[in-house]
Amino acid sequence: MDSLTIGYLSLPVLLALIFMRMPIGLAMLVVGLGGTMVVTGGPNVVLAKLKNETYSTFSSYSLSIVPLFLLMGQFATLGGMSTALFRAAETWLGHRRGGVAMASVGACAGFGAICGSSLATAATMGQVALPQLKKHGYPGGLATATLAAGGTLGILIPPSVVLVIYAIITEQNIAKLFVAAAVPGLLAVIGYMFTIAIMMRFSPSSAQLRQRIPYRERLKALAEIWRVLLIFALVIGGIYLGWFTPTEAAAVGAAGTCIIAWFAGGLSRTTFTDAILSTASTTAMIFFIILGAAFFNSFLALTRVPQELSSTILELGFSPLTILIVILCLYLIFGCFMDSLSMILLTVPIFFPIISMLDFGLTPEETAIWFGILVLIVVEVGLITPPVGMNLFVINAMDPATRMLDTYRAVLPFIASDILRTCLLVAFPGITLFLMRWLY
Amino acid sequence: MAQIDRLVRFMAKALALLGGVILLALVATTTLSIVGRSLNSIGHSEIVATYLPFLAAPLQWFRPITGDFELVEAGVAFAIMAFLPWCQIEQGHAKVEVLTGFLPATANRWLALLWEAVFCAAYLLIAWRLIVGTNDKLRYGETSFMLQFPVWWGYATVSAAAVLACIVAIWSFILHAREAAGHRHIRAATSRVN
Repeated sequence: MDSLTIGYLSLPVLLALIFMRMPIGLAMLVVGLGGTMVVTGGPNVVLAKLKNETYSTFSSYSLSIVPLFLLMGQFATLGGMSTALFRAAETWLGHRRGGVAMASVGACAGFGAICGSSLATAATMGQVALPQLKKHGYPGGLATATLAAGGTLGILIPPSVVLVIYAIITEQNIAKLFVAAAVPGLLAVIGYMFTIAIMMRFSPSSAQLRQRIPYRERLKALAEIWRVLLIFALVIGGIYLGWFTPTEAAAVGAAGTCIIAWFAGGLSRTTFTDAILSTASTTAMIFFIILGAAFFNSFLALTRVPQELSSTILELGFSPLTILIVILCLYLIFGCFMDSLSMILLTVPIFFPIISMLDFGLTPEETAIWFGILVLIVVEVGLITPPVGMNLFVINAMDPATRMLDTYRAVLPFIASDILRTCLLVAFPGITLFLMRWLY
Repeated sequence: MAQIDRLVRFMAKALALLGGVILLALVATTTLSIVGRSLNSIGHSEIVATYLPFLAAPLQWFRPITGDFELVEAGVAFAIMAFLPWCQIEQGHAKVEVLTGFLPATANRWLALLWEAVFCAAYLLIAWRLIVGTNDKLRYGETSFMLQFPVWWGYATVSAAAVLACIVAIWSFILHAREAAGHRHIRAATSRVN
């Protein structure tokens, strides 16, 4: 058996192991190491590689941005900023039909600007907004679905851990990817708000309406979120202006949110320990997958599967757009079962070489950034697609009165809005790219 | 048994918190380094030279921390390895849960036990090769570029954490074996702490 066949065979084996509930990082590690042993005909190469690979993977300067962004998100949840964000959004939108739900989406977007993870955004905003939605008489399913969808703004709006990983795998500029994610992120916010408006129109509900709040008070509530704006401007502005590297920016962001949490009185011994332990658990999970992916991808490279697969697919003669759409649909399907980072680490090394050989009428860099944003969105949809959507679980667990099935049903319009936005961004790459072209 | 469980959990938690402290130290180092670099470049700027010349010397006294990124690299490697045992004992690893519902509970427990066994093997392999790698770096006397600290220091801290990760993985395997054999969950008796 030649190494290419072994490489191709490893893919179904890996998927089978993953679907048999083998932890994803472990499965990639085992298949990667096992495959390399088979191809090189003995354990020597693997044993020699293992001497340095673990340390060099964990000691990567660019990857150290991941725990730092996670830490920043944890401190942000302790800084009381979620309450301020929700109040600010609520004073502006709360008097409309569905306004409290729209305000929740707005607040999620604001929180996403200082938090790079969806689960943290969903969980934090859920604690603040869920009781308010219930109080105003919103149906349970709509409330949980709104927050689950709103939570995805955590990774859609920069900073974003998923985007950082994509940038590192494909060797793209993180700052440019962050800039490119901004407009699609705003479109997501608008799309979700429209979705809520339509849902409120077609399903009669007991949601109450309240009086408009005078602008003086609105502006006052808006001024309360200056800390969020300051951190966002410092982190994203600093990266964009070249004041510091993305890793440094994440460190500054973590330090800033830590100080804010301290002054807000959010740091007790318990909350501080919990923040560290939560960062620890998520970081470890991510890096074990990264380690597994490192071994698996170097095995794949050894068998030349990525190159061969992409040239085979090119020879089939499908149009670039067809191939792109098929890949995006695959992500949507995988997203029903798999978490976002595993998907990125597993698939981007295989799909990216294919995409980069296709001609979309863009420069190679633009194609890479555009594809990155599209992948970010479809992967993020996976967080809210039944049956396995992490955000759905997290939010539903916070509201025992709402059945999982109600959440599943109410989240479908949000998924539709996501898919509509993806189509729009596929059809018009300029929406994603114009801001980056203009700024760089 | 319950005592060993408490001990292992305490160890994993303490190691994770130590990793967290290192991570916070890296945040502080990096931030201070940026402040030093910014003040230094302000001290060299034309505005200061023209309008506030007396400030130039004190501002130029500030410096970025030399080799801060080398500290980040070595520190974050240890922190991540220190975080892994906690993730292991907390069942934090990502997996695909589609099949769970279709299999009987016993089958799920045996499957989980199998993967814990593979985890043990993987951790033992990783720790063993890390220790060999540490020895290599020690023998060749490799040092880092800027700070000139021996590279084996970083390897040694990560190896130490990896050894603890092995112990935790083995304990996690024993816990799963007990459950697969039909024993009650060891922490079911006591209150579950998150």
